[in-house]
Formats: sequence, structure tokens, C-alpha cells
Amino acid sequence: MLLIKLATKSLLNRKASALLTLFTIAISVMLLMSIERVRVDAKSSFSNTISGTDLIVGARTGDIQLLLSSVFRIGHANNGVSWKSYQYITEQRGVKWAIPMSLGDSHKGLAVLGTNKDYFEHYRFAKKQSLSFSQGHEFNHLFEVVLGAEVASSLGYQLGDEVVIAHGMGNTSFHNHDDNPFKVVGILNPTGTPVDKTLHIPLAAIEAIHGGHAHQHEAVQADANDHDHDHDHDHDHDHDHDHDQHDDVDLIGTPKQITAFLLGFDSPLYTLQVRRNINQYKDEALLAIMPGVTLRELWEMLSIVEKILLLFSIVVVLISLLGMLTSLLSSLNQRRRELAILRSVGARPWHIFTLISVESLLITGLGCIVGIALFYALMLLGADYLQSHAGISLNIALLSSYELMLLAAIMVAGFIVGLIPATRAYFYSLADGMSIKI
Amino acid sequence: MITLENVLFKWHAKQPEPTINITKLDIDQGEHVFLHGPSGCGKSTLLSLLAGVTVPTQGNIELLGKAINQLSNSKRDRFRADHIGYIFQNFNLLPYLSPIENVTLGCQFSKQRQKNALKNSATIAAEASRLLSALGLNDNLQHQAVAQLSIGQQQRVAAARAFIGSPEIIIADEPTSALDTQNRQAFVKLLFEQASAANSTLIFVSHDETLQTLFTRSISLVELQGGTDATH
Repeated sequence: MLLIKLATKSLLNRKASALLTLFTIAISVMLLMSIERVRVDAKSSFSNTISGTDLIVGARTGDIQLLLSSVFRIGHANNGVSWKSYQYITEQRGVKWAIPMSLGDSHKGLAVLGTNKDYFEHYRFAKKQSLSFSQGHEFNHLFEVVLGAEVASSLGYQLGDEVVIAHGMGNTSFHNHDDNPFKVVGILNPTGTPVDKTLHIPLAAIEAIHGGHAHQHEAVQADANDHDHDHDHDHDHDHDHDHDQHDDVDLIGTPKQITAFLLGFDSPLYTLQVRRNINQYKDEALLAIMPGVTLRELWEMLSIVEKILLLFSIVVVLISLLGMLTSLLSSLNQRRRELAILRSVGARPWHIFTLISVESLLITGLGCIVGIALFYALMLLGADYLQSHAGISLNIALLSSYELMLLAAIMVAGFIVGLIPATRAYFYSLADGMSIKI
Repeated sequence: MITLENVLFKWHAKQPEPTINITKLDIDQGEHVFLHGPSGCGKSTLLSLLAGVTVPTQGNIELLGKAINQLSNSKRDRFRADHIGYIFQNFNLLPYLSPIENVTLGCQFSKQRQKNALKNSATIAAEASRLLSALGLNDNLQHQAVAQLSIGQQQRVAAARAFIGSPEIIIADEPTSALDTQNRQAFVKLLFEQASAANSTLIFVSHDETLQTLFTRSISLVELQGGTDATH
């Protein structure tokens, strides 16, 4: 107790350098904790993005590229899948459901996804959770839109609002289709995945907003129509819109091509077989990936970066502890007098040793506490940014056991580093005795 | 109660003349001894020996009936903490502690002295305050920063630190050299009062021989040193 009090008062007497040392440690602790939290949460965000889908099919490209463009909405798929191939493949044996995905349009920088109703029924994320509506319902008409949770909250949209979809990606599109407003009919619950940042519209509407394209497809529409999709319920004519290209409102339409599609099978046994068939499909260069496998590959690729980050933050912690060592050692020379005084009033060398060790523990401990405070401040500030820019949903929860272990490791390292000046002080005090040199 | 016999001390083995060469020195319990001598005659070394900080190259030093030169380092440390109060020439107060805390520090490393202190007062802080008041440091000064005290006031704090817990031996190493003549005599008298109250032996070192008359016994270190010097 006495030694803790003495160490505290002595440190307070050397506030400036003690505080600097403390902040160095605090910042390094913050850095390490933040990097670790982001890393762990990024990993779970990644692997939670899609589940329950057996295959993702797109134009032939890299596995990871297909995953990124179809699931994470990162990058562009240069080619698409022809509607013919889509129809052919989805008619194969064992296919339980298929979700066509047409990407490439945007609303205020957020992705617009053209899809069918199977999306709301079969898309799964995290531990096979399905999408659910916080308000409203799925789209039933051509110019209806279902918003991801974050789209609604960040843009302040409510049911019944009208949303304009722009052609192309990015905030500033060349032309806004002001004449094609979409009515918000549903808002999804948050998922912590890119779904939150997506506007979902019927596949057919994608063509509708590209007026010119739609006309070109009319010819194709005729022969495509006989495939009539039975999961489409009947559709009233949507007279709100004066476009003429879709008299018969059909949520699928007859697109020329789509970006990618998701497949679910009756049994996982079909997966490898169908995958092989798709990859060897002669009419078109296609690629089918198993999302779980590719997610893992993607994560492994990122894990190098992740390990380097971890290494850097550990080095930063070490540097901060070395800073503490330097400041303790350099203060020791000035403090020989103080230590000799303590010796003269009866402190034994091991008291001196303990005193210096307690000091380094106090600095490290307080540094950790301040570092944790800074870490939470940073998490609170950065959570929104990471969510909207990297799709990583940060978990601002209590410290995990892993993080507590990291802190314990820092404390132990601080203690060990503190043993060096403590040992030195021990020998000083043996050599100096009560004679006060300075 | 303090006995030195044939004590020889050399800093290095090859030193031609020993720094300390004392055939015999006896000091009784409760005596107030004035030890004087010019600079460089070995006063500080003798005090180091008496405080058990250094051990003699030859000979015996007995304090309170214990041959401290035969004790281990840690036992000598403990002995010093329990039985010796030391007043330094330059006070050596810890700047980050209040006067009260500086004084209580004097008994916090010794159970024995804590026990002694608690015989006089309810807490060691109260005992520190009592000693400071007895040595003439007002209550309102006792909680101030040490650096704000005058030199005379700091010296009183240093003295109280040596006296707390009533150690049997008080060693004062030129404690008055920073004070003016009038204050010196007053300070020495305060030391006497406290030493008598605790029945402590006081060994007071100074080269200022005007103080000599205040003491019952005076020892010249030059005379004490070596056979030849003593015969002069």
C-alpha cells in the first residue's frame, strides 16, 4: 500500500513525462484493440454475408471477383449471363430455387438490385437467417421498391415515398430517370450485410428504367414469354406509369442478360454436378462458385493483410513499452537521491525494486484503461463509417475474452519491461546506500 | 551501548592509511555526544559505519549489544530501520510528500517504530503532527508542500522524521550548517528535548565548535583516530 502510494505520488511529481508515456501506451493499446476488433468483426461480417446458397453463377471471371460483384457489390461484372442460359440452367434437375440478380444501377450511390420474389423467400445470411420486413411487404408491381434497412435509415425514406433510380453507379449519373419514380412498399430489417445498402426492384423494372433498351427486348420478349414463371402471381396493370413497353406487368420481364444468379438445390448432392455442368457449359463462358468456399478463399487472401496489421500493432505496443523503459531508466538517474532517501528511512533494496515495478505497472495499467476508453470512442465514431464504406458491422460490445487476453499480455509485457529499471534501481540502492550522490 | 573496538576502515584494500582507525569508543544510552573535526578527517565514514551502511575492514562495532558488522546486509537494513534515526545535512525530504507524510515515512518501514509511535498517539500521522508541533512547526504548515517551507522549517521536518518511533540512536550529520547562529542553538536545544524525551542517544556531528558547549560530551575525531593523534 505504502509503495503504491509512494509510486503514485512520485509519478504525479513527474506528471509531464509520466503522462506522455501513459498516452503512448494508451494510443498503442487503442490501436491494437481497434485493429483486432475490426479484424474479428470483418471476418464475421464477411462470413455472415451469404449462406444457404449452393451456387453463385455469373460470367466467367475469377471466383473472388464473382463473389465480390454479386454478393458484396464491389467492382463490376464485365459480362453478364444471358437470359437463355439462366432459363436453361434453372430448369435442370434438382434446382429448388433461383434468384436472378441484375446490378449496375444506383440510387444516391447505393446499389440497385433487380431480382425476383424468390430473393425474399430464399436469400439467407449469417446462420441461415432469412430476410424479414420491418415494414411493408415485397414488391408486387413493376415500379415498387423494397429498401435495405440502411437505405431507409440513412436516406430517411418511409413507406409510400417515391424514389428515383439512376442509370449507372455513383452519385452523379448522367441522366436520372425522373419520370420513373419507384414507390417504397417495403423496408427490410437490418442484416449487417450489403443487403442493408441495397434497393430491391423487380427484375423487369431494370429494363423499364432503361427505356431504350426495353424496346429492343420486345422482340425477345415474345419468345421468352412462353416460359412464364409460375412463381409470378397475377399482376394488375400498373396504370400509374405511362410507359408503354410493359403492358402485361410481369416482374421478371425478358431481360437480355442478368449479372449473376443464385441457385439453391433440393439436395446439396446436386451442387458439384451442376457446378461442373455450368463450368463446362458450351453456349456461354460461365462460372459457378460455392459461396462458402470462395468466402474462405477471400478471407485467406485478406488474412495476409490482417496478419501484417496485427504484427504492426504489436510492434507499436512494443515501441510504446520501450518508450516507457527509456523514460523510467532516464528518470532513474535523477531519482537516485529520492531512492537513497527512502533507503535512509529504512526502505530495503527490495522495497526500491517493488516501487519501480509498481510504477511501471501503474503506467501500463492506466495506459490500458485510457487506451480502452479511446478504443470505445474510436469504435463509436468509426462504426457508421465502416458500416457504410466497408460493410463491416462493428460490434460495440464489452471486451471479449480474446481482447482481455491481449490486455493481460500487454500488462505482463509492461511488468517485464519494468523489471529492467527496477533491477537497476535495486543495484543502485545497494551501491549508494545512504550516501546521496546528487 | 555503542561500542567500537579496534575499528579499521579502508575504502580500498591497497589504501596506505586507513580512513578510520579507532582503538576504542564507548557511548552510553541517552548520551548527547558532539563529534567534531575538520573536513576530510573521516566524519562521514564514521557515521556510515555507525549507521551500518558500511562495515569495518577490521574490528567490531556493537550497537545496542549487537555486533552489526556481523549481520547480513538485509539484517543491517532492518536494524537501521528499527533503531536509527538519521538527520542529513541537506535534509533530504521527498518533495512530493507533505511534511506530515515525510515524517511518517520515518517509521513506515519498521514495525517496531510504528509500534513505538502508536504508544504516544492514536495514529502515526497524529504522532508526526505532535512531533512537528513540538519542534515548532505550526499545524497550518504541516500539510503544505515541502518546497514552500523555509530551510529552518525543512530541518524541523527532517528532525521529526528521525525522531518518530523513538529510535534508540539519532545520528545528526551537520544538521545546522544551513542555519544561522541563533537558529542553530535553538535547533540543537529542540533536538535535546526530543532525544531526552525518548531517551535516545544523540550523536551530533559538526565542524562548528561553538555548539560544543551545549553538549555533555565532546569527541574530537582527530584525537580519536589512531594511537599517535590521541596522545597529542
